[in-house]
Amino acid sequence: MRVVAWVAAFVALAALPFFLGSYHNDVYRKLLLWVTLALGYNFLFGICGQVAFSHFAFYGIGAYGVVILLFQVGLPLPIAILLALLICVILALIVAIPATRLEGFYLALVTLALAQLFIVLLNEGGTVTGGAGGIANYRLPPIFGTRISGPAYTLVIVALLMLTLALLWRLDRSWFGRACRAVRDNPEAAAAMGVDVARTKVIAFTLTSALAGMAGMVYAFVDNTVNPPIFGLENAFLILFMVIVGGAGRHAGAIIGAVLLFLLPFWLSPVVGHHHQLIFGALVVAAILLWPKGLVGIWDRFSR
Amino acid sequence: MGPLLQVSRVTKRFGGLTAVSKLAFELRRGEILGVIGPNGAGKSTTFNIIAGTYAADEGEIRFDGESIAGMPPHQIARRGVMRTFQHNRPFEGMSVLENVLVGAHTRFGRNLFSRSAAAEEREQRAQAERLVEFVGLGELRTANVDRLSFGQGRLLEIARALAGAPKLILFDEPAAGLTRAEAERIATVIRGIAERGIAVLLIEHDMHFLLPLAHRVVVLNFGAKIAEGTSDEVRSHPAVLDAYLGHAAAV
Repeated sequence: MRVVAWVAAFVALAALPFFLGSYHNDVYRKLLLWVTLALGYNFLFGICGQVAFSHFAFYGIGAYGVVILLFQVGLPLPIAILLALLICVILALIVAIPATRLEGFYLALVTLALAQLFIVLLNEGGTVTGGAGGIANYRLPPIFGTRISGPAYTLVIVALLMLTLALLWRLDRSWFGRACRAVRDNPEAAAAMGVDVARTKVIAFTLTSALAGMAGMVYAFVDNTVNPPIFGLENAFLILFMVIVGGAGRHAGAIIGAVLLFLLPFWLSPVVGHHHQLIFGALVVAAILLWPKGLVGIWDRFSR
Repeated sequence: MGPLLQVSRVTKRFGGLTAVSKLAFELRRGEILGVIGPNGAGKSTTFNIIAGTYAADEGEIRFDGESIAGMPPHQIARRGVMRTFQHNRPFEGMSVLENVLVGAHTRFGRNLFSRSAAAEEREQRAQAERLVEFVGLGELRTANVDRLSFGQGRLLEIARALAGAPKLILFDEPAAGLTRAEAERIATVIRGIAERGIAVLLIEHDMHFLLPLAHRVVVLNFGAKIAEGTSDEVRSHPAVLDAYLGHAAAV
């Protein structure tokens, strides 16, 4: 039964791009990527209770990593993907191991610094990163002799989203997910139950950062261009707001928040122009003050 | 078989203050050992040293034949020492049953993706349900913990500690803040735990709660052991009457 639901969801999401024009296909792909990012960030922030601002930077590291390894270094695709993933994992460990041993906001500060440093490095990276202009005009190398493009590439993104959700779903409903929630709610009591608090935090951070890196690798062939403004810090905050508005700690919350906040400018811009930023800000403030459990929390109250 | 827990010559200083001085006692399997003493006697410090929250400056603690002195709390829990907190520390965002399942953390195999993982989850869930019944919270098992009263929260602490299948449970003032009826309920649960063969170490301020419950009592004052024996022996021990009770009429 559960397998049927997963297959049905995949088929529905995968069939949609074949009915969309190229503009809407582009919007749809970005929406799927934002949902994927929000799901990963929700696991870190909503379920494990860690405030980090590096999620979008890891998305960028994955994207730049795979492009540089493929086209600047000249590695074959599978090796470039594995190496880019390895870079994400190692960087995440370097950030998380010292930061999680400290109390409080150190992870937030360290990851904020990492996100800033990443943008500086992209701009100053010379021919390796392409500087302020980034890298463009490349194409996804053929896989088994076929070039995947158009709606077919959207299937890759759907697969990424479904695999990310399935993995996080599985983890959330296991002893590991409960350990993460325990660490979030009361670290001292979690330790008394045998949970290695520092290790749990490091694993959750590394795992979600690697997932963001994977999403970035997939993103790299959506627009076939990577440049510094795409990976700016405001997007790190946007993911945080998506999770808060939708409902932190719930997969459904991350999905609803990502869909709503991503599509909001598209709906509002024709009506109010650039003032949609104001409405956006008001929504975030309202969510924090009035609906601490987010939109899924409101849904729960009415469906009860 | 030797004692389950062996505390020898343990000393802990905070700056110039010696909170615990050359403390030694033993705890046997299936025994309920009470540690009492007036405020500031070093009860909580002793408790926190055994649980791994503090490291002792001197001395040795052996549990089940192995030295646990200086181990972090999660390592000590993994060896079969679970604890409750005096001020209830539930996991706020979870149901009663899920709280108990966190207590079973050390009971799970590490591999999440093995074939046996689903069966293991079902098994631990069934065990957690039995423990929730055992402490009398069966009707509240799917409720969020914020719906529990303080006394029910204390019962949850106990179920959560039992879920780790401990050999020893440490109770940090389990009767503190409870009504007489709630305290009696807790005493019954603690006797039931000892009957299962689990050793119990209680630190407690309230003599009326502790003396009828404990098989043996260690009395602390100013960080040192001043008496040890059965409840009756301790009750009439001159040093105890002098230091802790003030006057014999209190008991």
